[in-house]
Amino acid sequence: MNAAASPPRRFDPRRIALACWLVLVVITATIAVRTRYVADLSAFLPSTPTAEQAVLLDQLRSGVAARLVLIGIEGGTEEERADTSIALAGALRKSGAFDAVHNGDNAGFEETARFLFEHRYLLSPAVDAQRFTAEGLRDGILDTTSLLGTPAGALVKPVLLRDPTGETLRMAEGMLPAQSPRSDGRVWISRTQPRAVMIATTHADGSDIDAQERALQLIHERFAPSAARGLELKVSGAGTFAVSSRAQIKTEVERLAIAGGVAIVGLLLVAFGGSLRTLLLGLLPVASGVLAGIAAVSLAFGNVHGITLGFGTTLIGEAVDYAIYYLIQARAAPGLAASTGARQWIAGNWPTVRLGLLTSVCGFAALLFSGFPGLAQLGLFSVAGLAGAAFTTRYVMTALSPDGAPGSALRSRLGKGVGAATALVQRLRWPLAALTIAAVVAVAWLPSPWRGTLSSLSPVGAAQLALDSELRGDVGATDPGMLVAVAGRDEASVLAAAEAAGSKLDVLVASGAVGSYASPARMLPSPALQLARRSVLPEAQVLRTRLAEATADGPLPASRLDAFVADVQAARSQPLVTRAALAGTPLNAALDALLVPGSGEHPWRALLTLAAGAKPLDVAALRAAVADVPGAQVVDISGELASIYGRYLHEAIFQALFGALAVCALLVLHLRSAARFWRVVMPVAASVVIVIAALSLAGVALGILHLVGLLLTVAIGSNYALFFDQLRTQADAHVGDAAYTVDNDTLASLALANLTAVISFCLLALSSIPALFSIGEVVAPGIALCLVLSAAFIPTRKT
Amino acid sequence: MPIPLLLPSPQSRDRRRALAGLVSLAVACTARAQSAFDLTQLMRLLAQVKSGTATFTETRNVAMLDKPLESSGRLSFEAPDTFVRETLKPRAERIAIAGNSITLSQGTRSRSMSLDAAPEAAILVDAIRGVLSGNREAIEKKFVTSVAGSADRWTLEMLPRDARLREKLVSVRVSGKQASVLEVAVAMADGDRSLMRIEPQTAVTDPAAGAPK
Repeated sequence: MNAAASPPRRFDPRRIALACWLVLVVITATIAVRTRYVADLSAFLPSTPTAEQAVLLDQLRSGVAARLVLIGIEGGTEEERADTSIALAGALRKSGAFDAVHNGDNAGFEETARFLFEHRYLLSPAVDAQRFTAEGLRDGILDTTSLLGTPAGALVKPVLLRDPTGETLRMAEGMLPAQSPRSDGRVWISRTQPRAVMIATTHADGSDIDAQERALQLIHERFAPSAARGLELKVSGAGTFAVSSRAQIKTEVERLAIAGGVAIVGLLLVAFGGSLRTLLLGLLPVASGVLAGIAAVSLAFGNVHGITLGFGTTLIGEAVDYAIYYLIQARAAPGLAASTGARQWIAGNWPTVRLGLLTSVCGFAALLFSGFPGLAQLGLFSVAGLAGAAFTTRYVMTALSPDGAPGSALRSRLGKGVGAATALVQRLRWPLAALTIAAVVAVAWLPSPWRGTLSSLSPVGAAQLALDSELRGDVGATDPGMLVAVAGRDEASVLAAAEAAGSKLDVLVASGAVGSYASPARMLPSPALQLARRSVLPEAQVLRTRLAEATADGPLPASRLDAFVADVQAARSQPLVTRAALAGTPLNAALDALLVPGSGEHPWRALLTLAAGAKPLDVAALRAAVADVPGAQVVDISGELASIYGRYLHEAIFQALFGALAVCALLVLHLRSAARFWRVVMPVAASVVIVIAALSLAGVALGILHLVGLLLTVAIGSNYALFFDQLRTQADAHVGDAAYTVDNDTLASLALANLTAVISFCLLALSSIPALFSIGEVVAPGIALCLVLSAAFIPTRKT
Repeated sequence: MPIPLLLPSPQSRDRRRALAGLVSLAVACTARAQSAFDLTQLMRLLAQVKSGTATFTETRNVAMLDKPLESSGRLSFEAPDTFVRETLKPRAERIAIAGNSITLSQGTRSRSMSLDAAPEAAILVDAIRGVLSGNREAIEKKFVTSVAGSADRWTLEMLPRDARLREKLVSVRVSGKQASVLEVAVAMADGDRSLMRIEPQTAVTDPAAGAPK
């Protein structure tokens, strides 16, 4: 420091500020290093669901749909594909990472079949009082024997003597899916391509992406020997999407951070004449801002999402703006002592920068109230980051470099160039105004562009989606578009409720309104029903008498049915089947898909998935049908997702308007002048309208993320308008005969700051992740327009 | 065709012998012309029937049972691939086949499945449907065929080509008269046999349909 200045004080505020800053940097760096980074898309699912949405989110996060892996085997001959399918299925079953593997080969089902057979008198839907009367026995035996001599007879024959009334068949009827894939005699094959198909359910939850990744890895490893023989493996499913989008987010964020960093560093070097010192100084607010952002999000949310980081790379472009403003604007005025630049800047320009910071913070703060945790993270990251960057500029840079950036060669050229451009742009004021009006007309006249859907948030590519729908079609695993959910206090009551709902659905199936449905109560009837069935089983002597009558002139003599009588006797004292009893059997996986045990205050839930018949499902009719089953809800999954998104779009619109209003209120408070307020708001509003019009005309479907982008445009663009307003105010306040000359340095700093911000949002716009490019494609043109329109509409020269 | 007797007259015994030889030659020629009734001609005949209904009685001999199983009911067919069998005795049940789907109904319960998901059932359906619609390519693709008899009384025997399916279904033998199918006999690999006798009731024919393309 200059010896001529005041003697150094021990508690020099600048030194204290530097010390505090260093401490904060160390703390936030530690937090940032130890923070947990996640990259799954559930951050973009809403966090305050209704009861129906709770069921839906349950399903999406950890339901069977989220654990399905669809596998296709292509190449080679039909024999080879079938052999590979059988080998791969066996290997996957043995690996323990999969609950169930279905490939059309019945090899894995002996255990299940045996379990069902042994408990047939408790599980079969045909067992009722009528069944064991002489009439009922005769009808049952006739029904079963009528299948003999046909291809179906092969299934019936082995157990005919022990199960003459065909309970096994009745159970199978209820449990077989309505849509089976095509079979080549050994395994499932596609109906449209030369491909063997199979379906596997991972043991791991759908939301545990690491485990999903390991499961997928396992499939590829077990397939490797077949791959060596020229066969090809195709895999799809929700887990695949989650794993690949996580990988995509990771690489994108790295790319953005590197590209953003390189671009900004390059720009700073060029603008400040290659001075490394200036570059490092300029990067201080950036680094502080990023650390502050990460630490704040980590402390508030417990993790930092990859998309937040990706978005946070734009913070580099915005934070460096503060550095640029300071470095360019804080030069010592000619004639004043050195080291006074900082003080002058603090007095003159800092209020404008501070106001700009506040408007930006208002805009981002509106995101904090969003129902999507992902967006709330974006908001907090930006608020903390911008505040950190601004205050670092105010306290640290002023201390370290009191005269701003040394040298002015390029700056003055840049300043002059921008001055000339500003004059040019001001001559274009009327054409630009006309453009604004045309945009307003276009927005009013075109149909609403707010057509975005939840699927537009997903980064999964079109080719992957096409493969997925092909494999689903092959296997018949179409997403359950609709289901009926029932709740109960415990296992028994929820199963009873499922049975009640099932009987209502049976009526609809008979009338054709519903194609078919799956219910956990088919695999596990409620204890009450099992008891009822057990109680109608007659004792040995009674049964023999009735059998004699039933088989009197039938094809199957009663004398050969001793095993049947013995089995019925055993069933009379069989323990009831419970969920625990099924736990060791392969049926467990199928049951778990439809029966969700409760815990604490969460009730038990049973899900009945519906499949449409010839006609599409009618939600209203379904709701009416299950209305009197207590606790039953009809959950229309795709409808729910669409309405969730619609609701959040509405909420987001309100939040965005609220944010914009907060910005306006802030401006009014600080500017205290209607004219000035109008001057600042007009260019920003105009650029928002022009961006909306341009995207509508281009046919882009706007969604929540575009709305977020518009909010950011307002928050960031208002900074430029404020600076132009400041210049105008200075011009207006200028007294004296000499003409007021525009401060070219301020213009240069604005142009440079705008350029860095536009570059970082342009990088976002080039990303392949919808969440990021939606924001980028709105903000990049938006803030560029803000600058141009501010220059045009806020006259800085008295003519 | 009368043979002109413009022969010189040697000894009468030789003449008789020569005459007998010529007559038997003529008969043999005619007979061969008649037994050239083959699959193509049979399919052409059958393809003329566009739709029809019939009643049937079926007897099944199953090794496990003491007595044969008897059933009876109605059949209906509509080209090219719709076939319905309605059993009335001893228990009412209905099997409807249309395209790739088969619907089984018993009382109030009914269940639909895709045929191609159950190849063992599909092969039998292919045989019957192929015959009824006169679809030669479909039958030849899946079965080794042999035709015997004449147009007035023919028999078509079909053996599945696929080795795995032959392990379940041994043969399907269809016999009939002209364009009517009168009997279907199915032999399963485990020794079970079924014989269905059919009495046609109505038939809608389209003679042009059988013309060679």
